[in-house]
Amino acid sequence: MQEHEEIVRAENLKKTFTLSKKQQRIEQTGEKRRVAVSGLSFSAYRGEIYGLLGPNGAGKTTTLRMLSTLIRPDAGDAFLCGHSIVKEPRRVRDVIGFMTSDLKLEGFFTPDYLFDFFGAMHGVEKAALATRKKELFSRFGIDKFSEVRVKNLSTGMLQKVSLVVSIVHDPEIVIFDEPTNGLDVITAKVVTDFLEELRRMGKSIILSTHIFSLVEKLCDRVGILLNGRLAAEGSLEAVAKGDLERTFFALYEGEGGRV
Amino acid sequence: MKFLALVKKEFHRFFHDPRLITTMLLPGLVIFLLYSVLGEALNTKAEARHYDVYLVGDSAVTRVIAQAATAGGDSVEWRRLGDEEEAMDAVREGKATAVIKFSENFDAAEGGKVEIFYDASNEVSAAFYSLATAALNAYGMRFTVAAQSLTSAETIGMQVLCSILPLLIVTFVFSACMSVTLESVAGEKERGTLATVLVTSVKRSHVALGKIFPLACISMLGALSSFLGTALSMPKLMGLSLNMLGAYGFWNYFLILLLILSVVPLIVSLIAVVSAYSKSVKEASAYTGMLMILSLILSLVATFVPKMGNWTVAIPVLNTVVFMQELLAGALPVWQSLVSAGVNLVLTAALVFVMTKMLSDERIMFGK
Ligand SMILES: Nc1ncnc2c1ncn2[C@@H]1O[C@H](COP(=O)(O)OP(=O)(O)O)[C@@H](O)[C@H]1O
Ligand SMILES: [Mg+2]
Repeated sequence: MQEHEEIVRAENLKKTFTLSKKQQRIEQTGEKRRVAVSGLSFSAYRGEIYGLLGPNGAGKTTTLRMLSTLIRPDAGDAFLCGHSIVKEPRRVRDVIGFMTSDLKLEGFFTPDYLFDFFGAMHGVEKAALATRKKELFSRFGIDKFSEVRVKNLSTGMLQKVSLVVSIVHDPEIVIFDEPTNGLDVITAKVVTDFLEELRRMGKSIILSTHIFSLVEKLCDRVGILLNGRLAAEGSLEAVAKGDLERTFFALYEGEGGRV
Repeated sequence: MKFLALVKKEFHRFFHDPRLITTMLLPGLVIFLLYSVLGEALNTKAEARHYDVYLVGDSAVTRVIAQAATAGGDSVEWRRLGDEEEAMDAVREGKATAVIKFSENFDAAEGGKVEIFYDASNEVSAAFYSLATAALNAYGMRFTVAAQSLTSAETIGMQVLCSILPLLIVTFVFSACMSVTLESVAGEKERGTLATVLVTSVKRSHVALGKIFPLACISMLGALSSFLGTALSMPKLMGLSLNMLGAYGFWNYFLILLLILSVVPLIVSLIAVVSAYSKSVKEASAYTGMLMILSLILSLVATFVPKMGNWTVAIPVLNTVVFMQELLAGALPVWQSLVSAGVNLVLTAALVFVMTKMLSDERIMFGK
């Protein structure tokens, strides 16, 4: 495996939303269009955790949704394992695992059933699927709960199941929107441990967050996202310059933001 | 592979949830019980019946029939008339209960034949027919029994039944489709479990068809349950001692079934499209309610406007009701039924396509 092999490359991604009347009312704005991401480019490397750090509304979710092909960029493109999100979205979906709190599992089914179902959705072969299920379930301690309906699982166990199900097809890249948002400390630990485990397995991870400590704990590289654009990018040490939080707010105020 | 897994998941979800199965099958049972009890209450035998029966030829077995009648608290009076036709007319006009005709030397020879002529639309006559055939069959098989109703099914009760049944069927079909589809499509979208499927590499068309196909099959069960419940209990409700399921020829049943089979996927896909568009089950229910009213209006129009003509094949739901009525009235509008079913299925295919497009539309699936 090549050192610093580029596995994700985003080129000048742009996304503008048309605001509905209702949304205009909620946000008390007269503008009809909202530029969520404006010309975003960055690269992430194999076996590393890349963090997009930014405040609410910076465009993190929009960026990650474009990368996972749920929405299409208005302009620009991104390549994941060499596949274009614009031209080969289904190829891209097979090399990524996308996780966010918006994606839910049907409470009626068991982890065992869901693992097989999503394996089939990705076209994983039966035999390979069985081996992988055994391995992942025991590695994350799900085996004892494999026949319990998801709705009856504890929050921590449910989180583990969601994580495991999203990597059923052994994706090279894992994309994770706000990994610890809204989780209690125990469940948050489950998630961060999982991400570190994935990195040890050689996977590449792109995550978004507004939590400095999470970036400092996990990320190899970080991009600071402000108003849909990167304000800084590089290795954690290079960007943080000793104090990530202070650097962030300096950039934030430089962009005209007020605390 | 992927499509199959989607279909299996829907079936698994349904058949492993007793609550869902019950909500789907219960209406049929409730309708049957309700209508039967109601029919029983409305049509209970108030007093003993008296049968006036004309005999042509003679046999000792008349005594067996008389005994059976007496055992049930009824009485039989055997009559004779020179002219057979005159006797038949008396039955048609309701002046006599039935005519029983024995072949010559009935009691002496083996293989005799006994024919019963009765009036299926007359309650007393139909009751006598059941009683007589039961008694004859119990007596032994030395002879053959043939029965024939002198009136066709076109009595007032039957007419009402035939015209109203399609309306009921469409209504039941609609509610069956609604109960599963809203939950499965709008529910999954609202809860975010549909999005989890959409981040995999499965084709959107497979997701659309993977919903509509199994949901249509499941709705079919519900529709069938309601249909059977109605068909089996309606005659009782209307005081007809007539068995709906034995009243028509094979092709009538075949075409009725075909019409139902074609309208179920149409309604399911219509509700699925509306559900995929809506942000919540509540919103989808509101839209579906409007669709239901629309389909009810179409069905009512079809039910109460007579002789609508063949152009109705082009209007979904309306076509189903119109030609189901004709089929139930004993006519055999073959090409009209086939074209109607075809129209329904083509529209279904179009709606599957629309749903596929919707599943690929980020504003619909992931918009704020
Ligand atoms: N589907 C959408 N329709 C309209 N506006 C949107 C939509 N998604 C995001 N936005 C807007 O785009 C901006 C960026 O949002 P988002 O990417 O969710 O930011 P973040 O995840 O960094 O908080 C916000 O102002 C948000 O209101
Ligand atoms: Mg976000």
